[in-house]
This record gives sequence, C-alpha cells and structure tokens, in this order.
Amino acid sequence: MTLLSDLSTRYGPELRGFGASLPDDFSAALAALEPQLGAEELDRWARDGVALANHSLRSWEAAAEYFRASPEIVGRLGADGLHEWADTAMRLAASSSLMAAAFLKATPDALAVLNTEDMEAWAGQGERLCRGNWKSIALAALYFQVSPSLLRSLPLPSVGRLVDVVDQLTERSYELANTCLEGSPAIFAGLSEDDREPFLRFARAVTRASWADTRLYFDRGPRLLEHVAAEQRAAFLDLSARVTTEVGRQGFPLFADAADALAQMPEEDHRDLLGFASRLAPGSPTSAMEYLKSAPFMRTRLNEQQMEQWQDVGLDILLAERNPEGAEAYFRLESTRAEETMRALSSRVELASISTMLRMYAKALSGEPVSVLSAEDLVEQNIGWVTESSATTEGSAIYLPPFVATFEEQDANFQVYKVFTTHQTARIEFGSFRYRWDRDGAFAPSSMAGREAAAHERRTASQERERGEAITSIQRFFNCFDDRTLISGLFTIVEDTRIDSHVAREYGGIRRWLHRLQEWEAERRPRVEEMALRQAFVENLLRESLRRPDTIRWPVVFREYLSQGLAALKIVEQEGATVQDSAEVAASLYDIATAIPNIITPLADGKHEWDGPTEEMLSLQPGMPSGADGPEMQPSDQEMQFENPPQPEFRGDFKPELVQLLARLKNQVEGGEDGAMAPLTKEQLMEMLENSVELSIAEWAEGDLDQSLGMFLENMEQAAQQAPGDKKPDDAKGGAEQDGGKGDGGEGELPVEIEWSYYDEWDFRAGDYRPRWTRVGERYGKEEDSDFYEETLRRYHGLVMETRKQFEMMRPEAFKKIKRLEDGEELDLDLAIEFTIDKKAGIGPSGRVYNRRNKLERDVAVAFLLDMSASTDEEIEKQRVKHEAGDDEDDNFDGDPRRYFQWLAARRAKAMVEPPKRIIDLEKESTVLIVEALEAIGDSYGIYGFSGYGRENVEFHVIKDLKEQKDDRVLKRIGSIEPIRSTRMGPAIRHTIHKLDEYDAKVKILILVSDGRPQDHGYGRDRTEKEYAVHDTKQALNEAKRLGITPFLITVDKEGHDYLKQMCDDIGYEVVDDIESLPRRLPTLYRHLAAD
Amino acid sequence: MTTEAAGFKQIAVEDFRITDEPYYLPIQDEVELFEMAYERRIPVLLKGPTGAGKTRFVEYMSWRLHNKGSRSHEEGVPLITVACHEDLTASDLVGRYLLEGDETRWIDGPISRAAKVGAICYLDEIVEARKDTTVLIHPLTDYRRLLPVEKRGELLEAADGFILVMSYNPGYQSALKDLKHSTRQRFIAIEFGYPPRDQEAEIVQIESGVDAATAQDLAKLAEKVRNLKEHGLGEGVSTRLLVYAGKLIAGGIAPRRACQVAVVWALTDDGEVQRSIEEVVTSIFDE
Repeated sequence: MTLLSDLSTRYGPELRGFGASLPDDFSAALAALEPQLGAEELDRWARDGVALANHSLRSWEAAAEYFRASPEIVGRLGADGLHEWADTAMRLAASSSLMAAAFLKATPDALAVLNTEDMEAWAGQGERLCRGNWKSIALAALYFQVSPSLLRSLPLPSVGRLVDVVDQLTERSYELANTCLEGSPAIFAGLSEDDREPFLRFARAVTRASWADTRLYFDRGPRLLEHVAAEQRAAFLDLSARVTTEVGRQGFPLFADAADALAQMPEEDHRDLLGFASRLAPGSPTSAMEYLKSAPFMRTRLNEQQMEQWQDVGLDILLAERNPEGAEAYFRLESTRAEETMRALSSRVELASISTMLRMYAKALSGEPVSVLSAEDLVEQNIGWVTESSATTEGSAIYLPPFVATFEEQDANFQVYKVFTTHQTARIEFGSFRYRWDRDGAFAPSSMAGREAAAHERRTASQERERGEAITSIQRFFNCFDDRTLISGLFTIVEDTRIDSHVAREYGGIRRWLHRLQEWEAERRPRVEEMALRQAFVENLLRESLRRPDTIRWPVVFREYLSQGLAALKIVEQEGATVQDSAEVAASLYDIATAIPNIITPLADGKHEWDGPTEEMLSLQPGMPSGADGPEMQPSDQEMQFENPPQPEFRGDFKPELVQLLARLKNQVEGGEDGAMAPLTKEQLMEMLENSVELSIAEWAEGDLDQSLGMFLENMEQAAQQAPGDKKPDDAKGGAEQDGGKGDGGEGELPVEIEWSYYDEWDFRAGDYRPRWTRVGERYGKEEDSDFYEETLRRYHGLVMETRKQFEMMRPEAFKKIKRLEDGEELDLDLAIEFTIDKKAGIGPSGRVYNRRNKLERDVAVAFLLDMSASTDEEIEKQRVKHEAGDDEDDNFDGDPRRYFQWLAARRAKAMVEPPKRIIDLEKESTVLIVEALEAIGDSYGIYGFSGYGRENVEFHVIKDLKEQKDDRVLKRIGSIEPIRSTRMGPAIRHTIHKLDEYDAKVKILILVSDGRPQDHGYGRDRTEKEYAVHDTKQALNEAKRLGITPFLITVDKEGHDYLKQMCDDIGYEVVDDIESLPRRLPTLYRHLAAD
Repeated sequence: MTTEAAGFKQIAVEDFRITDEPYYLPIQDEVELFEMAYERRIPVLLKGPTGAGKTRFVEYMSWRLHNKGSRSHEEGVPLITVACHEDLTASDLVGRYLLEGDETRWIDGPISRAAKVGAICYLDEIVEARKDTTVLIHPLTDYRRLLPVEKRGELLEAADGFILVMSYNPGYQSALKDLKHSTRQRFIAIEFGYPPRDQEAEIVQIESGVDAATAQDLAKLAEKVRNLKEHGLGEGVSTRLLVYAGKLIAGGIAPRRACQVAVVWALTDDGEVQRSIEEVVTSIFDE
C-alpha cells in the first residue's frame, strides 16, 4: 500500500460528512504534496487538515481552502512552515472559521509579495479586526481577501496603519469600514509610491477628526490629488494631516477646497504655494489652507512678486503680531487689511473703486447728468449691447468694463479708464448722437437727398422690397446704403476720428494717454496684407485714424483710392467738424470702398505689390474725394463677404442707431418736445432692428426670432422709461442699488422699493473689519392706519400733556441778553454808573459795561432705532411670569380643575377685551410719546426699525426719516411696526450712523431701543456664540462716537446688565426694569440726553 | 481824514474813492442799468455767486460815476463797503455811544456816514446779517431817504449822492438765510452769472497776466467744474479763483499744481469730489 492510499484511507472517512468536495480537495492536495514531503510530514499535514475541519461547525470550509492552497505554498513554506501556517489558521478559526478560510485562501497570493516570516504579523492584523460579531468577521475576511493586492502597493507596516484606520471606523460604522477597506487596493495602486504613506497619515487624521469624512476622502481624495503637482502631493497631504489634527472636522473640507484651488493654479507654482502654506501651518493651520483656497483669486489680481508681498503681510499678522485669527481672516479675504493690501499692490483697477469719481468727471466734462455704470449692467438690460469688456454709452449713461488691467502699473490702468470715460463722454459732449437728416456739416455739404433718391431707384430697379420709413435720422442715413456693415464700420471710424481729434484738442492733459493708447492699439492691429482689399482699405483708414499712417500697407497700383480716402478722413480732424461732416465723409468713403473689390490679392504677382505710405500720403490736405480715378477694377467672382476690421478697444462700442432709437422711445414716453411725432409701431421697430447691424441677431435664441425681437423691444421700452436719475450707481460709502419695481412713488400695492447698502463688520478675533460683509436693505414701513397713534394719545392723555409741557420748557428763548461785555450793542446804564462811581472812587473800574442780545439756537438731531426682532412679540405678562417664576396662582387651584378653568376663562375673556401687551406694543407707544415730545421741542428726529435674517438681509424699516416731516403717513407707519426676525445690531447702527452723519446738526444722538442681546444667524462663530455680536455692536457704537454722535442704549431685558456693561464701556445705557414704564421713561431719558 | 505813515495809509471810510480805473469787462447791460438806477436813486441788489465780479462791479461803477464827472458829483462818489456777518447789529451800522473819559461819545456807524456824505453804501453779503438788522435800512431805500437814529432821537436825511447797494448770493439759499420780501422788494436786482468762456478767458488773461491759451484752458476748466454744481459742489469755481490760478501760473507754478491749490482745494474738502476735479484738471492741462 502506498503512502498515498494509506493516508487516504486513514483520513478519508473523517472528511466525509462535510462538504461534498472536501475529500476530493484532500486527495488532490495529497497527490500534489506527496513528491515534496516526507511521510511524517505528510501525515502531520493531513492531520492538521482534519483537525481544522473538525474544529467547529463550518471550519470544514477553512479546511477545504487549506487543502487547496497547500500545494501552492509548500515550496515557499516547507513542511514546518506548513504546520505553523495550519496552527495560525487553527487560531483564527477559534475566532471565526470564515476568517480562517479567508486567510488560508489569500495566503498563496499574499506570499507572492510577503516574506514568510511576516505571515504571522499579517495574520495578526486581520485577527485584530475580528471582534466576534459577524460584521467584524466579514471585515476581517475582507482584509485577507484584499491584502494580496494591497500588499503590492503598501508594505506590511503600512497596511497595519490602514487597519488602524479601518479599526477606528468600526467603532462608528462597519459598513463604512468595509467600503473603505474594499476600495483601498485600487486607491493605493493609483497613488505613486511616495504618496501612499502620506495618504494614509492624512486618512488617520481625518478618521480621528470626523469619521464620516473618511468615506469622502477615500472616494474623492485620489481624484482631488490628481491635479496637484505630482512631487508636491506628499507635502500637501502631510500639511492637510497636520491641519486636520489641529482643526478637527473642518480638516477634510479644507483639504478638498484647497485641492480644488491648487487645480486652478499652474503646477509649477504648487511648490511655492505649499511651501508658504507650510510656513503658516505651525502658527495657524487654518490660515495655511485658507491661503491655498484664496490663491487662484489672488493670482487674477496680482502677479508673482505682488503676490509674495501680499502674503508676507499676512505672515506678519501671524508671526509678528501673533494674531492667528487675524491671519485666518486675512487669508480668507475677509479682512479689510487683506483687501487694502491687495488693492495697493494690484495694478488692476476696479471700476467699483473709482466709479463715483468718474461719474463726477463725466458730469463735469459733458455737463449732462450722466451716470457711470459697469458694462455688465448694460448687457443685462439686453437692449443690444453684448460685450461686457468694452466701454460704451447709450446716450445717458457711460458703461465701462468692470476692471482694467491693460498695463503693468496701476496708474496707467487708471489712465486707461480715464481715456475710456473721456471718449464716451466726448461722444455726448461733441454730439455723436445728434445726427440730423440732411443737414450740412461745417466742411461738407449734405449729399443725402441725392443718395436717398439713388438708393430708391436702385431698389426699384432690382425689385427689392422698399424699406419702410425710417424711425430715426441715423437709420435714414444708413438706409441710403446697400452694405450696412460697410457704412456702419466707416461711420464708426470717421466719427471716432472726429471725437479723438476733438478730445486731443480740447483736453491737452489727456492727449498723452490718448496717444499712448492709440499707439498700443496700432501695435496690435491684424496684418493688413492678409486682408481682402476692401477690408484692407478700411483697416488702413483705421490706422490713419490711430495717427499711425506709417503702418499703412496698400497695393501700389491702387494708391489713388487710398490717398483720396485719407484726405477725406482728414476733414473731420479739423476744428469745428460736426457729426454731419462725419456722415458725409463716411458716405464718400463708402463710394470709394465699394469701387474696390473685396478680394485677396496674390502678393507675389508684381502687379499687386504692397507698399508703405508715400511722402505725399503723409502730408495730405483735407479734401473730399473728386471721384475715384484709379485703375478700373473688375468685379471678381472671388469677392468675399465684407467684414469690418476689429475696433480699437479704447473707443468702445458705438451704436448710434440704437442710441437714437432709445432717445426717440424716451421722448415718446415723456411726451417730449417732438410730441408731434407719431408713436412708433411695432412693425417699424421690427424692421429697424432687423436691418440694423448694431445687433447681432445671430446670437439670439435660434428659430424664434419674432419672440426674441419682441422681448428685446420690451427691454428697450423699459430702458427708455428709466429716468436718468434711476441709474444710480454705487454710493461712495455704502453703495446703494435699486431693487424692486420702478414707478415713481405711485399709490397702491407697488412692490416695496429697497435700497441696499453695504457695511463692514467687525471681527474681534481678527481685529479687523470684514469688508462689505453685511447688506442692509432700507425700505419704508408699511402704512396701516393711524388709529394706533390716536388710540395711544388717548390712552396716555395725561402723560402726553405732561411730557409736551416739559419739552416745551426746554425750547430756548429766541434771544438772550448777555451782560457785562467789553463791547456790545448798548451801554448798560447801571453798569455805566457803577463804572463812573468806581472810577471816581479810585477803584479799578470794570470796563465791561455793554450788553448784547444773542440768538440761541437748538440744533439737535436724534435717530431712534427700534428692535423689531421676533422676541419683541413676547407678551409682557409671560415675561414677567418667567422672571418672577414661582409665586403664582397655580397653587391656589389646589388641584381643582374647575377653579383652574374658571381662572383661565376669565383670563381669556380679559384678553379678548384688551389683548395682552407685547414688548413691541410698548416700543410703539413710547414712539408715539416721543414723537409728541419732539414735535414740541422742535428737534429733528428719525425713527427706524430693524430686523432681518443673516448678513445678506438686514432689514431696515424707515418709519420716519430725519428729513421727513411728521405727517399722516408717518403716523400710519408707526402702526405697522411688527416683530420680524433677528437682531443684527451692528449693520443697523451703522446705517443709522450713515443717516445721521449726512444730516446737518450740531448735536446728534442715536438711541437704540431693544429687548435683548444682539443675535442673528451667522452673527458669531456658531449659534451659541455671543461674543462676536457683542463686539461688533460695540464697535459700531464706537464708530458713532468717533463721528460725533452720542449713542445711547435702552433695553427692557432684565439680564441686560451683563452684556451691556461689556458692550457699552463708556457709552450710556439703561435697563428699564419695569417694562411698562418705557413710554414714560423714554421721553425723560431723552430730556437728559439732549439737555445741552 | 487821511493819515499817512510808513508802510500804511489810513483813510476815514467816507473819504474812500476809487481813483484808478478798475478792470471790469461788461457782460451785458449792467453798466447802463446801474447808471440809470443811480441817476434815479433806485437801490440796487446784485445777485450772483461768489467771485463773479459783484464787488468789482461796484468799485468800477463808483469810479465810473466819479470820473464821468457825472453831473452834481464833481468830487466823485465815495464808496463805503460793509461786510455783513451774523453778529452785525443795528448799532454796528448806525452808530453807538462809547465811554470816553467821564462822558459818552457818539460814533457814527458806516451807514450814517454814507448817508451824510452821499456815498454808495455797499452792503456785501446782506443775507449774512440778522434779519432784525436789515429792517433798519428800509426807510433809507424808498422815497423818504431817511435813517432813524433811535438812540439819539434823530432822523438823518440822506445826502443827495447816497445810494444803497447790496449783494447777495442765492446759492446759499436756505430757509434761514433768505432775504425778507419786504427788504428785497425795495431793490432792483441785477443778476451776475459767470461770464461765458471767451469773456472769462479775457478777464483771466488781463487780470492774471497769463497767456491767452492758458487763460482759455482755465476758462474751460471753470466751465467743466461748474457742471458739477449741485452734483457734489455747492458752488462753481469763481472767476476770482481762476485769476488766482492764472497768477500762480504766470509766476511760474506748473498749471496742474496751480489749479490744485487755487481751484480744487479751494472749492471743496470732499475727497471724492476733489479727485474728480483734479482729473478734469489733468485732462485739460498737460503738466
């Protein structure tokens, strides 16, 4: 009997009764092993297998794996190794046979990458995951299953660290742990070798800080890293790990955002970026990440050196000033300092920062109430202007690109803005849009009547549809020409030449910059030699108009055409040339241009040699063309579609047709001077717009041209209805924009008009303002009815009379006599006698014997700011109960429900007759009283309410503006004061300050009436934080003081003392304990405040 | 009474006469109007912004009426100017008692003196004076031509050549600083606007000695800056300031700098407006 059959017979029967295949597996393995093992060894092997199968209920599966794997690994392990292996499996099976099976199965593959001596450690790591429950078993099994491939990219100790992470995750979610482990092989295989360890380190940090983010990290991490420069990934991961250890749950989001930001930066910069970030990390990990996040934005504003300077300032805040919160805000770009530093460094000039100034500049130059707006606004109106980046005007406002970064120096870019503005203003000043049909120019008589007739004839001859009657003069002008693109392009060049000449003549100071920009443009012209002939002709005119005739290139044989064209162009360069001249010159240039075929000429045929300008061309005298007498040019079948060469940027868009149309529509709306003109029909408008080349209809919604046109017309009409005053651009300080419907203060339910202003907010941690952080929407309070006012007056009749009297007594007398002056209107007889007596008696007399009457004026302005937060809705009764808890009637019911219900019914009945008073009601009543009092004394006053939610929406309700008189509407608005939402005090105070500051008075007072501490969504680091809001409010109050305004706080919050003390420092405040005394207290307080 | 001493000259107010022709460029018919008013003894109110030439006009007329030997005034018309201010009282104008030694002495105020010698009494910036003060002049302005001197219990009848001229800047108009109707309706009013560009350039050129081109530029600047009135500026730039700027330029100061100190900074303290005007300046002047 052979050894084989012997062993088979010995162990075979023991293996029966398990899975059907087990004996076969055994036999197959036996056969394979036999040549390699001795009898003893073979027997031990078989025994181990059988023991394993018998170990527990399902351990036979492990045994099956044992048998199957053995032949593969016997070569590596040897007989003793096999035995140890089996031992390990037995140990694992003690925890879970499933895990043991997975272990055994994975071994052959694992050994391909693992040293035999590490096997034990490898198995141990899996064992660690197993905690006895089935989820952990599955996880451990998964570990063995994935480890062969995992081990290919990670060394065993690293795998151990991964297990740590997974293990930690199991405390929260096995499912999550599973997913992460399952994905790991692919992830690590995808990472480069150097990044794997750092990836793992960061994973550990993320898991510790916020376990749920681990999945996100495993999911998205590798892809996020892809865009980080390969050799910087490890550094970035290490930085992220470090940051996450410090900042906790914010770690992963910061990492993700920073990675996104890095992706937007060129890879060669990553090294420096991360280098700087890691300098920030020790002092303020968040700053490091915020820096990376802000980098792409900063790079749009600053070049490399500037960027370095900018970040050094931030580093200084961190290191020299030891202010991590400040640095954080700085790098997050939420600090005024960051913005200012950026603005100072950047060569780019933003329109927003100079628009007010440019508006006044344009106003001064043109003498018209023009406004200066961003070109984006015009594009939004959708009335035919489409480029946001070029300057233009629609006749009443000047539109400029939102920023200029043409040159390296800030000043140069500012000058570019100035040239833009001057050119557009000059169009208004020098009448580019004042073209009138068939009027003579100063130098060129009109040829329009003849041209119109000729055009009519042409169209009749070619049986073309006759065009309808033109709406505007300029349209009628364009109608005379068949190629509207050409005539419009020529008119633009000629008119711009005229404008530039006027500007250069009138404004000697801007001339230099105008020329520099002309130069700049001239150097960037497209190559003229590559253009078709007619286009080249136009291009050459343009070069002349940019004062660079030396760059002209033109076929020698056609010289005469160009000479005549240039001479014509010179007409409008003369002083006194008008837009009529421009039109005539453009028309004559059109004649020349149409004689030139629009074909590409072969350069090398000798006949069409291109040349620069001749001496004669450079010294032409202005003159209208005498009729082209160059060589005849045959119409060619190679004629190309004519296109205008690109316009120089500084001249912007010129759309005279649309401007005249707008003006015409405006006139129609206002029933203006030309009231006799028939209103425009839709057909007329349609025709004009379809023909106009100033609109690129192609860009509109395809297909439904009719609808697009209709919408366009609507926009046009809307724009026409806007009074020029409506286009208020940003205010200098806060900046205001119009919202809601137009309509000039009409009655009824018009949408509320809101005027937005922006204010900074004080971040006490950063020790800096967050620029333009809050948006305050000012609106007028609703007008309900004045019943409330009258009712209050009736109810407080006695108090009203008393207050009024007290206040009337404060009113100063008109004149006051001042005695004992050295000089004055009249002698005081008594004093004069005394003087004489003293003198006679030899006593040093007092020379102060004159009187004088002085006028006294009281010049006080006060603004009341009422808290309209939701909490003021609280009934006073309830609040009292809250405060005086304990003493109450509950006890009196003695558990008798009947008595309780009686009491309740009585209370309800009472409430029906007299609704319970709320804090807001008292605020309103106090307002009524103070209004009466202030009317008696004659001080100027404003009453405002505030509330809102979040920094973007601080509601500011005007009950009575400082400038308003007390009238019925004001009284009605008082009635409408209602509780709304939160209490963001800072911005409301700042807005009130702004109002007071603009008001002219010697004494200014701000009184804030509230019912509690400032709080709002996002008014602090989190919901519970109170510090931030208190500090911001305090800062706002200090700002008031700095502007000479006396702030005073009144609160009905009994717990007010604690925060008010902190908030108010040396600012006056009062806690009104008995809420109901507020109406009495407020006037009294005011009297003291405004006493002198 | 004239006292001359080293370095200065002291003249009694009523003796002040303009002997050299002041430069004045008539813009409209104001010269004829004034002459006629003077002849008929109709009081004149000169309205207009500051620095438009009101005071210069009065001086010119005083000289002109004097030099033309206009009929009864061979001696010429003296000019007494009172700059009005908030604290100007009736006694400041009419006169008062002063203590001198053991007795009181009456001192005539400028208006009394003018009435006595028959001078042009020019009340500059009359709105600045208190309203109760202005009432005092009423009897002097109509057919009565009387000045009541309350404290002495006298009535002073104005001498033949006396006429009242007031100036007033409607630009500051506010409820507080407005003329009472009873006052303003006793005067004919001559409006002084800023001169048109070419004339203003001429004035600036002659007054400051700057060359014609620069004078044109200054006048252009003025025109542009005046466009800003009510849009940031309370008042346009005056011809006087232009002349100052011209003088600085003629003296060798760079035009931009001269305009900065004489126009921009003189006009406003608002930084934004300053900058806007400065940009207009740099647009017009090259250096």
